[in-house]
Amino acid sequence: MEIVVDNLVQVFGEAPNDVLALDRVSHRFPSQRFTCILGPSGCGKSTLAQIVGGIEPFTSGTVTVGAAGGAAQPLGTHSVMMWQHLNLFPWRSVIDNVAFGLEVQGVAKAERYERARVLIAMVGLRGFEAHRPPQLSGGMRQRVALARALIMERPILLMDEPFGALDAQTKIVMQEELVRITEQTNKTVLFVTHAIDEAILLGDEIVVMTARPGRIKEVIKVDLPRPRSQEMVNTPEFGRLYDRALHLIREEVLNAMRQQEEVAG
Amino acid sequence: MGTTGTKHKSKAGAIVYIVVPYLLIVAVVLAWEIMVRVKGVQPIFLPAPSAIFKYLVVMIADGEIAYHLSITFLRIMAGFLVAAATGILVGIAMGMSRLVARMVDPWIAALYPLPKISLIPLLIIWLGTGEAYKIVISAVTAFFPVAIATFASIRQVDSGLMKAAKDLGANVRQVQLKVVIPAALPGIFSGLQLGMGVTIIMVVAAEMIGGSSDSGMGYLLIHAGQVMETEKVFGALIVLAVFGAVITNAQKRIDRMIAPWTEREH
Repeated sequence: MEIVVDNLVQVFGEAPNDVLALDRVSHRFPSQRFTCILGPSGCGKSTLAQIVGGIEPFTSGTVTVGAAGGAAQPLGTHSVMMWQHLNLFPWRSVIDNVAFGLEVQGVAKAERYERARVLIAMVGLRGFEAHRPPQLSGGMRQRVALARALIMERPILLMDEPFGALDAQTKIVMQEELVRITEQTNKTVLFVTHAIDEAILLGDEIVVMTARPGRIKEVIKVDLPRPRSQEMVNTPEFGRLYDRALHLIREEVLNAMRQQEEVAG
Repeated sequence: MGTTGTKHKSKAGAIVYIVVPYLLIVAVVLAWEIMVRVKGVQPIFLPAPSAIFKYLVVMIADGEIAYHLSITFLRIMAGFLVAAATGILVGIAMGMSRLVARMVDPWIAALYPLPKISLIPLLIIWLGTGEAYKIVISAVTAFFPVAIATFASIRQVDSGLMKAAKDLGANVRQVQLKVVIPAALPGIFSGLQLGMGVTIIMVVAAEMIGGSSDSGMGYLLIHAGQVMETEKVFGALIVLAVFGAVITNAQKRIDRMIAPWTEREH
C-alpha cells in the first residue's frame, strides 16, 4: 500500500521555544517495497514514522495512505508499528502478547490462539508460547514484537530502529528473518535506522534525512539483487552505496554537532 | 560467581552465610540471660529470656495468645480490607481522571501528614470504643499509603505500552483495563504492604487506648504492663513480632504469585 507524504511539517512545543522537527518533507513510499529512513539521531525520522502510523498528530501537510480517491480513513488504520523499545507487555505470556490485537477486536480465544501460534511459528518461537517477555533473550523479544505486529495483517509495517539494542550476530539473523517474512507477506515497510549497512542490506530505497530540522536530503536506490545476505557487504556495489550514504550522513552528523555546540556555547 | 551477596565461592562460605545470623541471635539471648542472672536484675525491670519463655509456653498452652491474637488478626483484616478497597478505588479514579485527581489531591495533601493517632479522641466521641472505632482508625491510616501508591503507579505506567496497545487497536477503556491496571499492579502491591504495616500498628495502638478493649494483643500488652507482669509483656511483644513477620512474608508470597513478572525485570 502506497504512502504519500506531501509538505509535511512537524513543530514541537509552543513559540518561542518551539522546535521544527520536520520541514516540508515530501516523498512517495512505493507499495510493497522496503524503504529505509536513514539519518543522524534527532533528525525526526522516528517522528515521521509515528506520523505515518497515526500515532502522533502533525502540524501541517498531508499524509495519504492507500490509493488516492479511496475512502478517507484515519492514519494508522492500515499500518502497525514495531517499536524501538518493543513495548511488549511483560505481564502477558508470549502468546497473549502476540494475540493482543485480536483480543481487543473481540476474537474468541480459541481462534486468536490458533492464529497467534501460526505467527509464533513463523518467527521461530514455537515452544515459547507460555514464556513471559522478561524470561526471553533480546532477539527472542524482537521476534515476539514482530509477530504481534504481523498478526494485525495490516499492509504497512512501520519499524522504528527495532534492532538497535541487539548484539551484532543476533542483528544479522533478525535482519535476514525480517527480509524473508516481509517478502513472504508483501508488506510495505518503513524502516527507521541510523545504521548505514542495515539500511543497504534491507532497503529497496534509502531516504536520507538531514539533521534537525529534518528534511529529505537524498533518496538512494538500492539495486542489489535479492535475496540479500550478509556476504554482499564485501561487493563493490555495496561499497559504492555505503560510501555514498556515509558521505551524506557524515555531513549531517557534523551539522548536528555544530548545532549542538551553538546551543551549548 | 560471587557477584551477588547470596552466591559464594565455597560450600563453607554458604554455610557461614546462613548460620552466622542465627548464631548472633543465640549470642544476644545468651548474653541477656547471663547478665540478668549475674547482676541479679529484678524480673519486673528485665526478666531473663528463660523466664519469658516459660511464661510464653503457659500463655500459648492456656489459649490466651490464641484468643487475643485471633481477635487482633480479625480487626487487622477488617481495617486492611476496607483501606485496600477504598484506597485502590480512589487511587485508580485519580489515576484515570484528571478531574478526580484535582479534586482529591488537596484532601490527601492536607490529611496524609496528620498523625492518624490524633484522630482517636474524635473517633471515640463519634463511634465509642467498640469495634467500629478500631476498624475505622486503622482503615483511615492505611487508606493513604494505598491510595497514594495506586495513584502514583498508574501515573507512572510506561506511555510506550499505552501507545503500543492503541496502535494494536485497543480503545481507551481497553488500554486502561488491559494495560494501565496490570502495569500498575506491582506499585499497588507495595502500597498494600505499607498499608498492612500501619494497620497492624494502629489496631494494636487502638486496643491499648484507655479501657477501649478487653481483648486483643494491645489489651494483653497494656494489661500485663499495668500489673507489672513484665514477662507477659515480653511474651506478647515476641508474639507480635513473629506475627508481623509472618504477615509481611505471606504478603510478599502473594505478590510474587500474582505479579511474577516484576522479579526479573531489572
